[in-house]
Formats: sequence, structure tokens, C-alpha cells
Amino acid sequence: MNLNALTIKEAHELLKKKEITSVELVKAHFNEIKRRDKDIRAFLSLNEEGALEAAKKVDERISRGEPIEMLAGIPAAIKDNILIRGVKVTAASKILENYIAPYDATVIKKLKEEEAIFIGKTNMDEFAMGSSTENSAFGPTRNPVDLERVPGGSSGGSAAAVKAGFSVYALGSDTGGSIRQPAGFCGVVGFKPTYGAVSRHGLIAMASSLDQIGPIARNVDDAAAVFEIIRGVDELDSTSVSPATAGWRDYWNSPLDIEEIKIGVPREYFIHGLNPEVEKNIKSVISKLEKEGAKIEEISLPYSEWALATYYIIMLAEASANLARFDGIKYGYSTMNKKEKLQSLLNVYLQSRGKGFGTEARQRIMLGTYILSAGYYDAYYTRAQRVRKLIKQDFDHAFKEVDVILTPTSPTTAFKFGEKTQDPLSMYLADIYTVSVNLAGVPGISIPIKEVDGLPVGLQLIGKNFDDVKLLKIAKIIETLSK
Amino acid sequence: MALTKKEVEKIAELARLELDEKEKEKFAEDLSSILGYIQKLSEVNIEKVEPITGGTSLESVMRKDNETKRISDSQMREQILNASPNRQDDYFKVPSIFE
Repeated sequence: MNLNALTIKEAHELLKKKEITSVELVKAHFNEIKRRDKDIRAFLSLNEEGALEAAKKVDERISRGEPIEMLAGIPAAIKDNILIRGVKVTAASKILENYIAPYDATVIKKLKEEEAIFIGKTNMDEFAMGSSTENSAFGPTRNPVDLERVPGGSSGGSAAAVKAGFSVYALGSDTGGSIRQPAGFCGVVGFKPTYGAVSRHGLIAMASSLDQIGPIARNVDDAAAVFEIIRGVDELDSTSVSPATAGWRDYWNSPLDIEEIKIGVPREYFIHGLNPEVEKNIKSVISKLEKEGAKIEEISLPYSEWALATYYIIMLAEASANLARFDGIKYGYSTMNKKEKLQSLLNVYLQSRGKGFGTEARQRIMLGTYILSAGYYDAYYTRAQRVRKLIKQDFDHAFKEVDVILTPTSPTTAFKFGEKTQDPLSMYLADIYTVSVNLAGVPGISIPIKEVDGLPVGLQLIGKNFDDVKLLKIAKIIETLSK
Repeated sequence: MALTKKEVEKIAELARLELDEKEKEKFAEDLSSILGYIQKLSEVNIEKVEPITGGTSLESVMRKDNETKRISDSQMREQILNASPNRQDDYFKVPSIFE
């Protein structure tokens, strides 16, 4: 039996039937990590001792005949911008190189209650700023499918870990596509829930009105299983939303019939820049859906053309404000003690931040600072918030007609290292199909479909706000159909 | 939209980032190209459109300001203080602010 390709449900059943132990499962994953992670580099830190100890506890419960939770004893990889108490959390930045998390993120607290097993912390672009993990201060992650290519980003380490069999599932964070795009590039499922569905408490913030934590998994069922556990209102995140707003429990009990669903295909997403082979595979899923009885409708999201510029203004402004907290005084990298001569406060700020942040982080902080500075605020930030409203209205209109919107996740398959690092704009364009989802706050999921030249292709489904369960149900239909 | 080296220096100072000479030139180029791209928004007619701060219609929520509930955990308190690069007793030590 290959223990490194199990889904959550399969692993859960095997544990319950005592056909495997959690310790065996965890060991199998660490063996695979030892064999291949020196090439892939999905992890920034590993938790072997802690994981085995936690696994033993679960095994003891099973041997006593106690019932176990769905995620109990099953290995998970956690993106290194999510806090686990007592464990180093770096956000892949030098400025947090030696920082130990003093508390658990809410999602971690929830997973601990399930007795989930934390294998390690995964690599990412520094502060989640990037689409390839090439911006990690600790070196990039390689795509397990093709080591010469990027795994996508910013949750590239999480997607690579799941694909490579280093963990059964992973948590990532998504600000403009950072869960969905790497899932697409690595050939796994990546789900960004509705903004507010999952607490962000304990997630190192990049752009607070866009950030959302979500699962990366081997199939839609697993993504749903993890979502079911981590979601819910949280007193420590004032933007989190009460689950009472929707029937978020009935994913398992009442699957949808393909003839009941209405799918919108936005014409603005199938224009220049889209790789023709990727387009072909997406279109073939669409015709298959139509043949099986789903209603397909061409729709328009007219403000799509301005989504990327809107996203960048808002993200840059919020990121520069969020990263102002790194000052070399309270925690993190500091030059305060570097010289014998007493330094001025300003110099501590300038040097700690100047040396602690990588190039992309500094670039975004500067752009955000510029955008928010006196005289430019209205021209950039307020204008972007108005266009955000128009983009949101596009989705509101569309969801009056259709249940979900179907698009490619990315315009291309995984690109090679260095291909886009010279020109920041070309890197930003990798997110062109994913950023609108964050602006509108709606949920989005990427599922793998037929590959192009041996490289994974992601299909993105977008749902209505707080209709996460319906989105997952439809994603499952498409997953089954495209197998 | 091209930023001069002087403008980059000004922004870096506002952002509290020290840059070396080579970086200033690189940033002038890269920042200009991104600012050029986001100028694209000036094409959109935003008359009578209200700005929004997020995708979900959020309302402000309040909770009791009960800090003892949060920081009563002495181990956490210790970890937070220990993370400081320059701790003295229960204080964060900072360079003098007045000349």
C-alpha cells in the first residue's frame, strides 16, 4: 500500500480499521521527505519529534477503541505564515528568521482539537508576496512534477508538499490566488473560502481585506473535510462570519445533480494571453458538462480588465500598512545591538527594515507608501476602492443568473525558474484570473484537469459569497467528470 | 510615469527603508513600470460609485475589552517579551528619542 498517496478519507478509514497506525503514516511521510525534499524543498522547518509524539497519542486512543475525529492522526503541512505556538514562524523572511510564535492561530487551535498531525512549515514567497516561491528568503521550492519549474506561489511549498506525498493535505493562504495558482501548477486541489468564512487570527497579514486561509488537498472531498473543521466565526477576527448564514454542513449529505447546475463562462477570461492548449482543455470540460446536462451560459464580467490594477493598488496599500509593524524594536531582525555606539531610533528603523526585508517586500512597501501618501491617496487608493465596487457588482449580477463561474486558474502551466523574475509586471500577470475573486470576497477553487505536455492545468470555479458548500459540490461533479 | 532617484529616496525615507545606491536605480525603474500599469484605472468612469473596503458587507462588531482573558497566560507573556531584541525586565528597551 502506498501511504503517501492516500486521501484524508482513505487514511481515516485505514486508521479506524487498524490496518495502519498513525505512527506508520507519519513515518512514511518523513521517509518520503528525507528521500526527496532536498530536491523539492517544500519545507522551511520540520516537526518530526512532535509529529510522532502526537501520532502515538492518536494510536493509543484507537487501540482503546475510542472514536477518532476525521483529521486525527493524519499528517498536515502548514504554510509558514500561520502561527503554531512554540514553533518558528518566518513568513519566509529574514526579518522573522528566528521568531517563535507565542500563540496558536485559530485554524491551528481547531486542527489541534481534531488531533491533526503537523509535519512541518512550508516554504512560500516572502510575506506571501509572489507567484512562484522565488521570493522566499530561504530559496525557492521546486515543482514535484518538473523540478525545473516553479510550484507557483505564494503557497508553493504547501502545494508541492501535497503533490510530492510529504503530507496528506496542507494549509495555505490566498490574497490574490496564492492557494489556487500553486494548486493549479502542481496538480492538486486548492480552495479559497469566502472572505470571513475562516478566521485569519494568527495568519501573518499581507493585505487584510483580501487574505484568506484555505486548504490544499488531493481531492475536493478532502478540501471540504478540512474546510468543515477550520471555518467559523471567531471573536479574535472581527471580519469572520457566523456559520449560521448558510447550511455549511450539508456537503456530505445532499450532493447536487449535474442537471441542476448552471455554469457561467465569462468571455473576458478567454482572450489574448491564455495559452491555447490550456484553453482547449478547459473548453473540453465545458462541452463535457453541457453534454451531461449542465446548463452553460456565456456571461460577461465587464470590469475584469481593470481587476489586476485594482488588486495591486489595494494590496500594496494594505501590505505597506501591515508591514509597518516590523520595526526592529518589538520582535524580529534588528540592528539595534549591532554597533557599540548607541544608535538613533530612526536608524534602527531604516536599517532593520532595509536589511530584514527582501527585494519584493521592500518594493511593495515603497509602492504602498507612495500610493497612500498625501496628494496621491484619492487618485490611487480611493479610486481603486470604487472600481472594486464595480468589480463586485459584476459578480453580483452574474450570480443572479448562474450558480458558479468557470475559468482557467492561470493563463499558462508552471513556468521555469527565472522566467519572470526580471520583470515584476510579468509575474503579476500570472494572477490575472485569480485576483478578482479576492476583491469580491467570493470563494474560489482550483481543480486539476487534463495536463498539457505533462504539466498540470487548473480549472477555477468561483461561487457566490457564503455559498462555499454549493461551490464544493459543483467542484466535485467536475472533478468526477474530468477523471 | 517615471520616478526619479530623488523621489525613490523620499519614498524610501517615508517607508523607513534604507537602500543602497544600486537599489535606488533598480527601484526607480521597477516602481515606475508598476505605477505605469496601475495608471490604467484612470480609464474607468467612477462617477457616483461608492468606494468599498471589502467584498463581504461587513458591519463593525464589538467585544468586551477584557485583556486579562488574553494575556493571563504567563508563558505567552514571557515569549512575547523574549522576542524583543533588547529586553530589560518587563520593558522593551529603545534608543533615546531626544537628541
